[in-house]
Amino acid sequence: MLTFARNKLVSVAALDPETLSIHAVLDDDAYGLEIDLRVSIEERKILDIFGKWNRWTTPECYRAIPFLQEIKGELIDETMGERVAKNLARKGCRHFANLFLECCDAATQALRVIRWENEKVARPALSFEQFLKEEGGREKTVKTTNTSPKITVPLSSCQPQIESHGAEDNRKDGVARASQDRGQGFIIDLHTHTFPASSCSSVCADELIEQARLIGLNGICLTDHNHVWSLAQVEALSQKHGFPVFRGNEITTTQGDMLVFGLEKDIRAIISIEDLRGEVDAAGGFMIAAHPFRGFLAFNTVQLGLTARKAAQRPLFQLVDALEVLNGKVTDKENGFSSSVADALRLPATGGSDAHQACEVGIYATRFFAEIGCEEQLIRALKSRDYVPVAFRSQIRQTA
Amino acid sequence: MPANILKFSLNRCTCVERLEDNTLRSVCTLRDTFTSASVEIVSRLPDLEIVSAQGQFHHEWLKLPDIDGIFLKLKGIRIGAGMLKIISGLIGQREELRQLTYMVEECCQAVIISLTRDILVQAPESEEAKLEFFSNMVRENIRLYNRCAAFAPGSRLVEHSQPPK
Repeated sequence: MLTFARNKLVSVAALDPETLSIHAVLDDDAYGLEIDLRVSIEERKILDIFGKWNRWTTPECYRAIPFLQEIKGELIDETMGERVAKNLARKGCRHFANLFLECCDAATQALRVIRWENEKVARPALSFEQFLKEEGGREKTVKTTNTSPKITVPLSSCQPQIESHGAEDNRKDGVARASQDRGQGFIIDLHTHTFPASSCSSVCADELIEQARLIGLNGICLTDHNHVWSLAQVEALSQKHGFPVFRGNEITTTQGDMLVFGLEKDIRAIISIEDLRGEVDAAGGFMIAAHPFRGFLAFNTVQLGLTARKAAQRPLFQLVDALEVLNGKVTDKENGFSSSVADALRLPATGGSDAHQACEVGIYATRFFAEIGCEEQLIRALKSRDYVPVAFRSQIRQTA
Repeated sequence: MPANILKFSLNRCTCVERLEDNTLRSVCTLRDTFTSASVEIVSRLPDLEIVSAQGQFHHEWLKLPDIDGIFLKLKGIRIGAGMLKIISGLIGQREELRQLTYMVEECCQAVIISLTRDILVQAPESEEAKLEFFSNMVRENIRLYNRCAAFAPGSRLVEHSQPPK
């Protein structure tokens, strides 16, 4: 029996020699919506657009409709997918955005047919195949970016089966359990992003470092997405600000994002976690599974049968050195679940803000128990397993 | 040519069914003026890891290289946060692969929405109770905050929610 079905229909007609008319319908178990738009054939400009809900979920879904008007006047080109993902999908509704991009793609295809028909007026024998050969790569389609990139799915009232524990727990694998009576220690935000190294970040390294110093962190680690900072760059930043700055790299693997330290190799493409493990080992580095359960608990986990013990059996956890159990971009439940899994695996746990803005740095961090002055010392400290994740910003608020 | 004759038409259907072996099968089929294609993804509960992927793709002028090899790359990926980046990274950005990538993403999105459906059916009927139901949903999962117009500041659903820390 089907548990879900979504049907989409898009039809494109030429209203007149200058105008395309597009009608689109999306109908699935949860939503029913329609879009009608007109596009100028010459410029590929959106002349007008109308959206309509037939079925919806929340009493506030109607608020999405006016955002469709922001598209009016825009041109259908290769960047449309990205623009829609950032604007209509985020500010309006990702289901309307999804259907709108299908419309754009269909318009591009229809324009190809129209060009062929126009060519045939002068050359009646021109086949579509021949036309395509002549046209070559001149015309490109709109990239239909899927507009629901994040799993921000409603939660049920059922709780995940989280087995323990507080943020400051240390691992129970024979390493001395850290406790607060060992002093404040040396606190580093191990997970941050800066612009332009990470296009998703809105803060430059200078501003992030200054903010880290201002709130009382002892150091910061720049872990931009698939980006290698040179040692000279971070040392220069460190000198400029009189503040310890370290470097890491958040690398996307087939099994999710990994924070790696001590790896100089510039890895740009998606890599298998096994291959990344090999690279890190060869470099003598350290690898942490970043936000390992981000989005995992969005569903009814009891119904899915997800427990920390089962989750710990995922093969990826045999290939990492530690788990990030306090991450500023996931929910408390997901952090708690990560912590339970780290316990089950007897792996060390770290914290990092995953900051993309200055105000986010230090939300979470990692407390080491000795001063760390250079990259070599940081990697040695990580391998020592003697550290704890901390909710740094909330602690300083309480102290103040 | 008369204006009421279509220049292009597209039908895309994506379905999810739960199989007996605790797996979900998601199938996306596409039929448009130039394309006839289908993609099938099987994922295993509870962690929604892709255990198999297959499909076929016929297009008027695009020829796909080694489609089976492309599907093999998807095995082991988890359906969830961050998957779009991984899927597009593994399949590649080439023009001829764009539609195939999108169909894989549609299959994965359908799995997610099918699980969300189980939650949505619990929504009460009355307007007031519905507001409370969805307001709680945002409070429980604060990442929803400002993710769409319904959950943006100014909406009744986030009146009592704090922005994410």
